[in-house]
Amino acid sequence: MDIELSADDLKFRDDVREFFKAHDYKPGQDYAQWRLDWFKAAREQGGWDVPKWPKEFGGPGWSPTQHYIWEQETARANLPWDMPFGVGMVAPIIMNYGNAEQQERFLPDIRARTVNWCQGYSEPGAGSDLASLKTKAELSADGKHYVVNGSKIWTTMAHIADWIFCLTRTDASGKKQEGITFLLFPMKQDGIEVKPIITLGGSHSVNTVHFTDVKVPVENRIGEEGKGWTYAKGLLAHERTGLAGVSRSLVALEKLKYQAGTVKRGNGSLLDDPSFRSKLAKLEVDLQALEFTELRSLARAASGQQPGPESSILKLKGTEIQQRIAHLTMEAAGPHMAPWGGIHVGPKFASGGTQSYLGSRAFTIYGGASEVQKDIIAKNVLGIRTQGGSN
Amino acid sequence: MNFDLTEEQQLLEDSVARFVADHYALDKRIKLANGKLGFSAEHWQTFAELGWLAVPFDEADGGIGGGPVETMVVMEQFGRGLILEPYLATVILGGGVLRRTLEGERRAELLGRLIEGKLQLAFAHSEEQARWDLEDVVSSARQDGDGWVLNGAKPVVYNGGNADLLIVSARSSGGQMDSDGISLFLVDPKASGVEIQAYPTVDGLRAAEIKMTDVKVDGDALLGAAGKAWPIIEAVADEAVLALCAEALGGLEVLYKDTVQYTQERQQFGHPMTDFQTVSHRLVEMFMEYEQCKSLLYRATMEYAQNGHEAARTLSACKHLIGTAGKFIGETAVQLHGGMGVTEELRLGHFFKRQLVIESQFGNADFHLEKFAA
Repeated sequence: MDIELSADDLKFRDDVREFFKAHDYKPGQDYAQWRLDWFKAAREQGGWDVPKWPKEFGGPGWSPTQHYIWEQETARANLPWDMPFGVGMVAPIIMNYGNAEQQERFLPDIRARTVNWCQGYSEPGAGSDLASLKTKAELSADGKHYVVNGSKIWTTMAHIADWIFCLTRTDASGKKQEGITFLLFPMKQDGIEVKPIITLGGSHSVNTVHFTDVKVPVENRIGEEGKGWTYAKGLLAHERTGLAGVSRSLVALEKLKYQAGTVKRGNGSLLDDPSFRSKLAKLEVDLQALEFTELRSLARAASGQQPGPESSILKLKGTEIQQRIAHLTMEAAGPHMAPWGGIHVGPKFASGGTQSYLGSRAFTIYGGASEVQKDIIAKNVLGIRTQGGSN
Repeated sequence: MNFDLTEEQQLLEDSVARFVADHYALDKRIKLANGKLGFSAEHWQTFAELGWLAVPFDEADGGIGGGPVETMVVMEQFGRGLILEPYLATVILGGGVLRRTLEGERRAELLGRLIEGKLQLAFAHSEEQARWDLEDVVSSARQDGDGWVLNGAKPVVYNGGNADLLIVSARSSGGQMDSDGISLFLVDPKASGVEIQAYPTVDGLRAAEIKMTDVKVDGDALLGAAGKAWPIIEAVADEAVLALCAEALGGLEVLYKDTVQYTQERQQFGHPMTDFQTVSHRLVEMFMEYEQCKSLLYRATMEYAQNGHEAARTLSACKHLIGTAGKFIGETAVQLHGGMGVTEELRLGHFFKRQLVIESQFGNADFHLEKFAA
């Protein structure tokens, strides 16, 4: 056992820090341009714009330790705005299951962040039970295109997306996991209607999307017809490991400690309050453990082994901790947790704290609700045969 | 031993419940919350006509002489409707101070106006550094001839922007943490030196930051004796805690019952969600927490009716339990509603947010557990 970083790893960490410093956003700069330039510069570093892409598609080919260092450093740095749907989600599917033509057509724009994607998975009747989705795709008589009809829900950023990757049903006769087809198509066309859903924090990022006779050329189908579930499932596993957010939580906890120190209580600060301090401490204990759970998982991957049982708890524990940090931040604001509507009164973090707490409630719902995650762990990790259950 | 409401109390509950059913559907509430006033002046007049504004006042003052149980009955129903009208600020807090301090003609005039629905009040007591420590007051009151000069800041004063009169606490003697030396004043919000920044709160209510810079008030602005406001502050805070707990309980009932209904209707994996034990057991836990809160609210309310401030420890127990149960029931309701739970489209999200704000008023769960243990 050994937790020291090697000289090479330390050098890598310094390089990353140096890069972030050199390319940091400067006040007054055109943000959109800076963003594109940043990704271009990261690309010139040898694939730092797509850290998780395999080497043959232009990724950096980092070791797990390097990925871990990158995570740690990005949590502290001011990175340009990025959505996970392109580089993180649809790209791996196109790489694994798309044909050469599709790879050539889609990957460059995804990588350059010039095209925004959204994910058409959940439906009003298909949430945790995603495989029961009903959005219909019918092949035209001449076999040249599919005609898509149906509705998607919780579609993040559908209102600004250029393209959607979408699970559709091409066959309803067999098992529900069969007959699902993976299609890509542009969002800005007739027959697509996007309606906002306002979430608890009062903001608009998710939508419902309705399709009426949307024509999708067959060359936009990924892989084989009816195999879409298999392709998406691989991606879901990918999505789940990305959500522990340990580095970000470590930074958030540090910030919370600082913020609590600025909150007055009597002649001292909130950090003098024993119950608040003990909650902070308990969070830190759990986070210290989770950090090493992540490292154990990484170390296993580094030696080329399959993910171990510890990796299955990363999303569950990680999101729970993120929610507790958000809650404690809201609590730190005291009565000032309440002012709303762009008003900034009381402690500086107050309005943001309540907003992130409300937003954080979704962490245990999206990307596979915690209840479903536990079912999967019970079955796949503990080997328990459950009744009913999720798959 | 009897936990039944009297006939009059039952009538009161029925009339508030009917009002809530008729006027507080979610879309109507959202419209009111987004309006200029943030509540309905018309509803407020209805409250007056139906005698609800008169509940805690003596018959000699034109009230109906109700006690903590009557207030609990009203607030619990308000909680089930997520009522926006500032009953807590005006009747419980403001009215609570005025009925304990005013005398003679002014008493008759102001309480009369309040009961008729013609007077809005706000209680500006707590301060930033105090969080919820009621005795921690640094705002100052300096005697100036027959009058007083007030300085200080009062954050998150509910109804502060709509109040016709503010009830402001300030220290006329003693040190920061002394319960002795605090005075209460009736202040015109338009008086020179009063600065009011009003805003909406996350639960759809309204509050304000109030700043006082050399505000000059007359001698008769002083409510009660100089430096002797502590028992009054303590009493209205006790009553506010009880009122908030009753309101919270009404909301918790909606939260758990809505979740029981939704999870029975929602089908996933070919079953209603309630077929999964992880769901049904959590519904039972929500229900259990709700019933425990109800018991402790009854206990606190009845003990307070009998013993006044001596029941403070039970009040703290109640606010603590309501706070922890509010978090558990609210978060579980959201979780079990899945994506729908985190939207503004269902009423449960709005009820959840009100629970969060109640937790921030007059002491959160930790604060009251500490008081209970002390």
